[in-house]
Amino acid sequence: VPRTAPSDRRDLLPGTLDMLVLKILSATAMHGYGIAQELQRQTNDTLRVEEGSLYPALQRMRQKGWIKAEWKQTPNNQRARYYTLTPAGRRHLGTEVTRFADLVAAIGGVLGLA
Amino acid sequence: MRALWNRIRDRLRRDALDAELVEELRFHQQLLERDAGDASPVRARQRLGNVTAVREETRDHWTLGALDRLLQDVHYALRGVRKSPGFAIAVIVTLALGVGANAAMFGIIDRLMFRPFAYLANPAGTGRVYLRFHDHGQVITKGESIEYTRYLDLKRHTTRFARMAAFSSQSLAVGLGQDAAEVPVAAVSGSFFGFFRAQPTLGRFFGTTEDALPHGTPVAVLGYDFWQSHFGGRNVLDSTLQVGDVLATIIGVAPRGFVGVSETAAPAVYLPITALASSLSFGVGSYYSTYYWGWVSVMAERKAGVNDAAAAADLSQAYRASWVAEAVQNSDLPGPDIAQPAALMGNLKAGAGPELAPKDRGALWVSGVALIVLLIACANVTNLFVVRALRRRRETAVRLALGVTRGRLLAQQITESLVLSGLAGLAGMGVAQLGSAAIRGFFGYDAGSLMLLGDTRALAVTGSIVLAIGVVMGVVPALFAETGDLALALRTGVRGGTHRRSRLSGALLVAQAALAMLLLVGAGLFVRSMSAVRSMRLGYDTDSVVVAAVNQRGAKISDSNSVALSHRLVEAAATLPGVSHAAWVASVPFYSSSWASIYVDGVDSVGKLGHFTYQAATSDYFATTGTRILHGRALMVQDQGTAPRVTVVGAGMAKLLWPGRDAIGQCLRIRTAQAPCTTVVGVAEDAVQQSLTATNDFQYYVPISQFGTNHGFALVLRTRTAPAGQLEAIRKALQRLMPGQYYVTTRTLASIVNDERAPWQFGATMFSVFGALALLVAAIGLYAVIAYGVAQRMHELGVRVALGAQRRDIVGLVMRQGVAFAVSGVVLGGVLAAVAARWVTPLLFHESARDPVIFGTVTVVLLAVAAVACALPAQRASRADPNSALRTD
Repeated sequence: VPRTAPSDRRDLLPGTLDMLVLKILSATAMHGYGIAQELQRQTNDTLRVEEGSLYPALQRMRQKGWIKAEWKQTPNNQRARYYTLTPAGRRHLGTEVTRFADLVAAIGGVLGLA
Repeated sequence: MRALWNRIRDRLRRDALDAELVEELRFHQQLLERDAGDASPVRARQRLGNVTAVREETRDHWTLGALDRLLQDVHYALRGVRKSPGFAIAVIVTLALGVGANAAMFGIIDRLMFRPFAYLANPAGTGRVYLRFHDHGQVITKGESIEYTRYLDLKRHTTRFARMAAFSSQSLAVGLGQDAAEVPVAAVSGSFFGFFRAQPTLGRFFGTTEDALPHGTPVAVLGYDFWQSHFGGRNVLDSTLQVGDVLATIIGVAPRGFVGVSETAAPAVYLPITALASSLSFGVGSYYSTYYWGWVSVMAERKAGVNDAAAAADLSQAYRASWVAEAVQNSDLPGPDIAQPAALMGNLKAGAGPELAPKDRGALWVSGVALIVLLIACANVTNLFVVRALRRRRETAVRLALGVTRGRLLAQQITESLVLSGLAGLAGMGVAQLGSAAIRGFFGYDAGSLMLLGDTRALAVTGSIVLAIGVVMGVVPALFAETGDLALALRTGVRGGTHRRSRLSGALLVAQAALAMLLLVGAGLFVRSMSAVRSMRLGYDTDSVVVAAVNQRGAKISDSNSVALSHRLVEAAATLPGVSHAAWVASVPFYSSSWASIYVDGVDSVGKLGHFTYQAATSDYFATTGTRILHGRALMVQDQGTAPRVTVVGAGMAKLLWPGRDAIGQCLRIRTAQAPCTTVVGVAEDAVQQSLTATNDFQYYVPISQFGTNHGFALVLRTRTAPAGQLEAIRKALQRLMPGQYYVTTRTLASIVNDERAPWQFGATMFSVFGALALLVAAIGLYAVIAYGVAQRMHELGVRVALGAQRRDIVGLVMRQGVAFAVSGVVLGGVLAAVAARWVTPLLFHESARDPVIFGTVTVVLLAVAAVACALPAQRASRADPNSALRTD
């Protein structure tokens, strides 16, 4: 079954998935599916993210100590793994956002968008 | 850092993590399907992507990369060991024997030649002085048995050395009464401790002031271990210790691990060499001004900037000056232009010096042999691996087709061979420990000093050997057996396709057979030498003769009392129940010999014809030792004191001094040219005195009472039955007659002679053991390769049978191939052995290094073994079934 206009969607810039996930988790603890939903919602479906690829990223960030994982009950009484931002993760998110903003500003300057 | 730690923790609970991930993904999937509602579930699945890939990728986060792959390879290797234990055992046993033999020999060679002495301040600039001169057409080099006077001359006449010291190791009784025990004692110059950068554990070392001529100061420094074991490590300074005849004051204790320059057991006590020299009574009045008594070794440290040649030149001119000084005292000495005295500074360890003792040379040879065994073992194991790699060719091809990289396969193979060689290394250390326990006695090491497991140098070398073997074993088969054409390998059926003979495999077989031939020829030569040494008539009986030596200690008794004591000893000995004859002697074969100048009218300079030693003995000497009288008579009771002076000479000496004439009645002048005649009354068979191989050593016999007062130091006794059980009874009976602190030690003459035969015995044993080992390993190798070839050719052989080949044709086909390897090996090995003969000759005894009997016998044995090794596979080949051959594909 063909998806609607797949070519309209954009690939994620490399290295930005971590930052987006951390940003989403900075609001509240969430499970993998929730993160995927939130990502879609906040980007208005512009980004092409294979939702499965969230999971290796989540494991990597957990090992780096940016997020914590816990099994909890969902409101529907299902078992799900919830991810929470750690203080280290919050710090990392801060530096990443700054760096990204600098990058965007620099690129924008070159392109005459500023 | 934290990430790595988390990774390791995750690795340990990866199964749980895996289960959690699966659950998480399932949950995600469920929600996707729920939210998709009626829309196709396929679409929902697409949004999640490739779940397997996700799992793989996530899992990578809780693995440890290379380490995990390594563990996996090790696991795989161990599974291989379990799956084909025969192969693993063959590899491990073969390598363990090779590695073990080398580890054991390294332990010995390292001590003999390489390991520097502990605490030595300047190992590169310190060496041993070796003297070299021409004697009867032979060049003699010696690094020991140097006269103390010579040492003084060398020191006085040289200028290029910072320090020089004389040293000598002696076995002396320490302590008194019941506690007395013989321990190794190092007598050293006062300059000795200056060679080392060592601080005494207690007190101080002695110096040149305590080592002054002529008597020195009786002070002692204890070895650390001796201090611990005998004094419990307490403060012993200023207490006295009886060391031989020296009553010494203890002034210090050497630090732990200090052995001076001792190559075997660590000295228990260090004495000033002058203090010891003046106490030893060898009838040498002035040990520091005459050249009769050679008993010390000399070590020296070059001044900075002095090279080997300059050091040698300096030492040589000093030695020449010393030679001239000696010639003044001894008119028999050939002049310096004939003797060409020269000296050099060589390795401090005599085992690595210019002149090797037979045991050192033996150690080198056995090490070479051990290395050959290792080579054979490696060749064999490589062959096993190659054969297996060929057998696995199809499996390898399949794995390559499935996407395993060649690098990964190679890593796996190397891991496997490393696991096997590692296991072999462990087993080899066990073999080495047993082996060195068996041979250490030959080299004079005590039990503790050859613990290989605690020896980091031996462990490092063994580890490197094992590692190198492991890598080579892994790489070589991969290089030669790797499937070149994947598709071809996959297409060929279960049979493995066309018969493929590996050229490497054949070369390895030939090499193994050649090396086995080499070792077996060596074994044969040594065994023949051994039996020649054993069966040689020494000129006396060894089986029923006991030597009882009287050791003087403490207050000496007067000369007249000594003579009376010797009479009492002979009488007492002769009346012992098991003893038939006894005699009092001045010399014992291989133990001590006596020498005096002799003169014969009409012969110019007798001393230049050979080396003449005398035996002074009481009348029963010939009856006691069994030395046969060929003409004339033996010594008799009447030949005493003031009776006419008589002598019995050896047959060789008679022929040399009075060629073509009857020796009986001839006149021998002993000590001076003007001495009265000593008349020859008998000719005895030649007797070996100092060396089993010497050709110009001669012996004559004189009555001890005519020769001088207070001569002799031992009894020889002839027992009626085997003497071994009577030693203690004889010792006790004689000990009762000892005055003061004198004591008696007894040995059988056979044991003294056996010590001399030891190098040949050792060579024969080691070559035989290693030769047999080599033969066995080579046979296994041949069997494995031929059997593999047959297994691979079963189809072809079946077709041959179907086409009318007879059983014996098939057997012949297989046998010919195997025996061809063996024949090539024998020819190659035979050539090698013939070339090596040059170097083996000096080690043999009355045996040609190219003895055709040995070469022939070994050839027959090797070919027979090869035939047996091929017979089994040939038998199997002859049962090749034409039906099954034609039915398959």
